[in-house]
Amino acid sequence: MLPLANIMARRLRTAISVLAIGVGVALFLVLVGLTSMLREIAERTVNVDAHLMVWPASDQVVLSGGLPAEKVQKDLEAIPGVARAIPVLRWPFEMAGRVQNVYGIRPPDWPAFAGPERIVAGRPLRGGFEMVIDTRLQKAGGYALGQEIERWGKRFTIVGIAREGVAGRVFMPIETVGACLDQTQLRASFFYVRAEGPAVVASIRDAVAARGLKPVTFDEFYDMLASSFVDMDLVVGAVVFVAGFVCFLVILLTVYTMVIERTRQIGILRGIGASRSQVFGLILAEAGLICLGGVAAGFLMTWAGRAAVLHLQPLWTVDIPPVRFAYAVLLAVGGTLLGALHPAMRAARQDPVECLRYE
Amino acid sequence: METILETRGLTKVYRSDGVATPALRGVDLAVRAGEFVSIMGPSGCGKSTLLYLAGLLDTPTDGTVVLAGTETRNLGDGERTRLRRRHVGYVFQRFNLLPTLSAEDNVALALRLRGRRVGDLAREMLAAVGLEDERRRRPNQLSVGEQQRVAIARALVTGPDLLLADEPTGNLDSETSGRVLALVERFHAERGQSVVLITHNEQVAARAGRIVRMRDGKTLDG
Repeated sequence: MLPLANIMARRLRTAISVLAIGVGVALFLVLVGLTSMLREIAERTVNVDAHLMVWPASDQVVLSGGLPAEKVQKDLEAIPGVARAIPVLRWPFEMAGRVQNVYGIRPPDWPAFAGPERIVAGRPLRGGFEMVIDTRLQKAGGYALGQEIERWGKRFTIVGIAREGVAGRVFMPIETVGACLDQTQLRASFFYVRAEGPAVVASIRDAVAARGLKPVTFDEFYDMLASSFVDMDLVVGAVVFVAGFVCFLVILLTVYTMVIERTRQIGILRGIGASRSQVFGLILAEAGLICLGGVAAGFLMTWAGRAAVLHLQPLWTVDIPPVRFAYAVLLAVGGTLLGALHPAMRAARQDPVECLRYE
Repeated sequence: METILETRGLTKVYRSDGVATPALRGVDLAVRAGEFVSIMGPSGCGKSTLLYLAGLLDTPTDGTVVLAGTETRNLGDGERTRLRRRHVGYVFQRFNLLPTLSAEDNVALALRLRGRRVGDLAREMLAAVGLEDERRRRPNQLSVGEQQRVAIARALVTGPDLLLADEPTGNLDSETSGRVLALVERFHAERGQSVVLITHNEQVAARAGRIVRMRDGKTLDG
């Protein structure tokens, strides 16, 4: 009753404090959500019925358009233990106002990328100027099945829509992509290689490396990205620290001001029977209410921030695991407690008579 | 008749920036249960200091306070608070109502701080001081006389044995002073609690059963 009445008596100051805490909470949560983008890309990339990827060893090959598809495929499939080598020609392609990576694949290889239940509308690729897009891209661009898209001086028809989670957001026949890129010989940016079983992956990897190519198992791919995750975690950690520190400073300043303003009130409270611990508790309760308001504001701002990001960048991923909301609450509560503790203790220790005489 | 409040050689010296200012110099005072005592004296004679010490809001430099039979010299802050809660109601000179609470909540606060159920007690107490219709108003919406009546209600709602009132009519006109004093007298008569009332007004002091005069930190008569 009294803490609530007190903070409502200073609405502007309370609002500013609530906002400051809310911004800290929202910043933490949205940033955590954005880091999920990297994980989403990684998960899509390895969501293929294969065990490793094979890349050109030199950047020069990459610049020249990639590896000779048929030759390298035969070479890879000759390695003992290799069940299948799937060439992929990956190239930038503008869709929904943003650059995507179109996955040029052979239509018969589609099952390796997606099972039959993955196509939610239309059909897989057959050949020619066709494309299959994922549901995320479809929603972002407002595309429809059967719609024609003009790119590279050609008209491509959307023949299928796959549920998001497939390796790429846009698939086309590899020959079509190669022709559009004026390739004289069909090339592949990389290969997915499916082993006969997990036990032979290591030997396949060695054999691929011996052929002067760069093998990357899915575990290695994830490890490579994990080091990026660590960097992202460091960034998130830095933001957490700054957000928590701001929370602490705002609360410290607010509560200190509150205590000075309420000096006389503290004397009154002691005079009518409040104990030191009750004064301490009342000050903490006021800070706690501000914290609660800040957390609620932070959650609202997170929701709004996430919506804004996805509105502006619909192909980005902003997934916030529920446990992070709990961390955000701990961040706000921790900063509030630290900031309020000293002023609350000071208020409790004040001499009631001096407080009553305070003008 | 038992003694509700006794001070023995009560001394208080305030120190600030190395300067010592004696406020009380060995005051002996005894207030019996059910007695109405007024304390008179010029400004700065130590009246308020005596009341702060008697209400255990402050600690003496020397001497002691015995409240409801409990010697308080060696009590810690927590114990003094508990004793004050149980036996003392305080009316401050400047009403000292909490500005963010309504009249009813101001009165109820005294009960809540003691962990007591409020129920209708606060409302009944405000009705007893003639302010039931104003119970939802904040202090800044009440006249000075009404504020003082709320302060009296707050001091008495917990049923204290001893009411300490520091110049309760100091900021009031004569008519309002009369009404406030009548309230104090009525509760004193109805509930039998002891009252120690500070005033510098002879007419106000005369309403008490006994007058104790002070000068320069000492009582002139006991």
